[in-house]
Amino acid sequence: MKYEEAMKRLEEIVSKIEENKLDIDQIGDSLREARELIKFCKERLYKTNEEIKKILEVEE
Amino acid sequence: MDIMTLLELNGRVKNVLQYDMPDAYWVQAEISSLNPSAQGHCYLELVQKDPTGRNFLARAKANIWRATWLELKPFFETQTGETLKVGMKVLLKVTVSFHELYGYSLVVHDIDPTYTLGDMARRRREILEQLEKEGVIGLNRELEIPVLPQRVAVISSATAAGYDDFRDQLLRNMYGFAFYLRLFPAVMQGNDAERSVIAALNAIAARRELFDVVVIIRGGGSVSELSCFDSYNMALNIANFPLPVITGIGHERDDTVADVVAHSKVKTPTAAAEFLIDRMFDSASLLDDLTRRMVESVSDRMNDEKMRIQQISQKLPTLFAVLKVRQEQLLDNIWTRAHNGVRNVMTEREYRLGIIDKVLTAADPVLILKRGFSLTRCDGHTVQSVSDLKRGDRLTTIFADGSVESEII
Repeated sequence: MKYEEAMKRLEEIVSKIEENKLDIDQIGDSLREARELIKFCKERLYKTNEEIKKILEVEE
Repeated sequence: MDIMTLLELNGRVKNVLQYDMPDAYWVQAEISSLNPSAQGHCYLELVQKDPTGRNFLARAKANIWRATWLELKPFFETQTGETLKVGMKVLLKVTVSFHELYGYSLVVHDIDPTYTLGDMARRRREILEQLEKEGVIGLNRELEIPVLPQRVAVISSATAAGYDDFRDQLLRNMYGFAFYLRLFPAVMQGNDAERSVIAALNAIAARRELFDVVVIIRGGGSVSELSCFDSYNMALNIANFPLPVITGIGHERDDTVADVVAHSKVKTPTAAAEFLIDRMFDSASLLDDLTRRMVESVSDRMNDEKMRIQQISQKLPTLFAVLKVRQEQLLDNIWTRAHNGVRNVMTEREYRLGIIDKVLTAADPVLILKRGFSLTRCDGHTVQSVSDLKRGDRLTTIFADGSVESEII
């Protein structure tokens, strides 16, 4: 999954919750999904991916 | 016939020149070669080309003696931000000299940097106009900087302090954002810069899917020599580059052509690193905002639900009491209505029965006989017409109180 897609999905979920479009059971499912998305985005922002590092810096 | 030696002839030429052209002249020319000597002098070759720039129209040697050169060199450099170099157009104050052995040459006494600056500005303007006409000048600017510009291709001199600054700033950013760097070394000044930077761009383009953004940086050198970034070919490559190009080539004067065609330009390598960190910060803020909004709206929603349940449970006994009263009233109503209904039905029935009784009573034959009427029968049938009877028939006449027999005569 791409970072931008994850952010878009997260935005959708938050908007639905804010607009009261979900019942309580659906909120529970959405929260679980949102937590995964946030984790994914945070990793992209802050965690160095060794594989990318290896590919990029191999010739340096 | 007078015969002269070569020395005598050259001596006469020298005398004529010194006699006829004793003054200093301002002359405009292009430097075609430049060699500082070990003794501190500077030897130049000056040319004038035709308008096409391909053919030479004039050529002369020129010397800047040590004492002049020591003064002119720093003066020119502070004024223009450039060192004197081949290809540069200059306006020089010269005297003409002729040496019997070394021939014709010019001695340089002064230089006017504004002429060179003007020429450089004109060239820059011409290049920009050309790029504008070709419709490429804004191409790189139309690209979007990725949401996460993490994989950075750097074009720089590997040894430049500017590169180290950039690297430190980026990799040790205070937020802890992940970045990946790959250096594509290039010569960042002088005549080789154009070819070298273009080669580095080509090397990046061959692996473009590995990178998000290109950064061209220089810095740490003593003198800013930027005219190499006023190159048409370099600009064309930057403008057409498939990834956004950020320049941080460090300068005080007007933007170079490379800066103009780049996606974004900043002043220093450190600022280039900050540019990328800021972009990451924006993305991280967006994520934080979303997370915060979600937590707030979910907790709001949960509070609402809790309040709803509380309200319902508080109201329940009252609601139940109201319900009970209402149900009782309803039952009462039904009972009353049913009771009235039955009573109405009963009255109606009684009335009808009364009528039937009266009718039936009125129709009772015994009562009719009692009122004075009689009933005549013959052979067991009730006689209803005279024509039913003939002479000799025996009749039975019934009265209220009995009957008599008779015969028709």
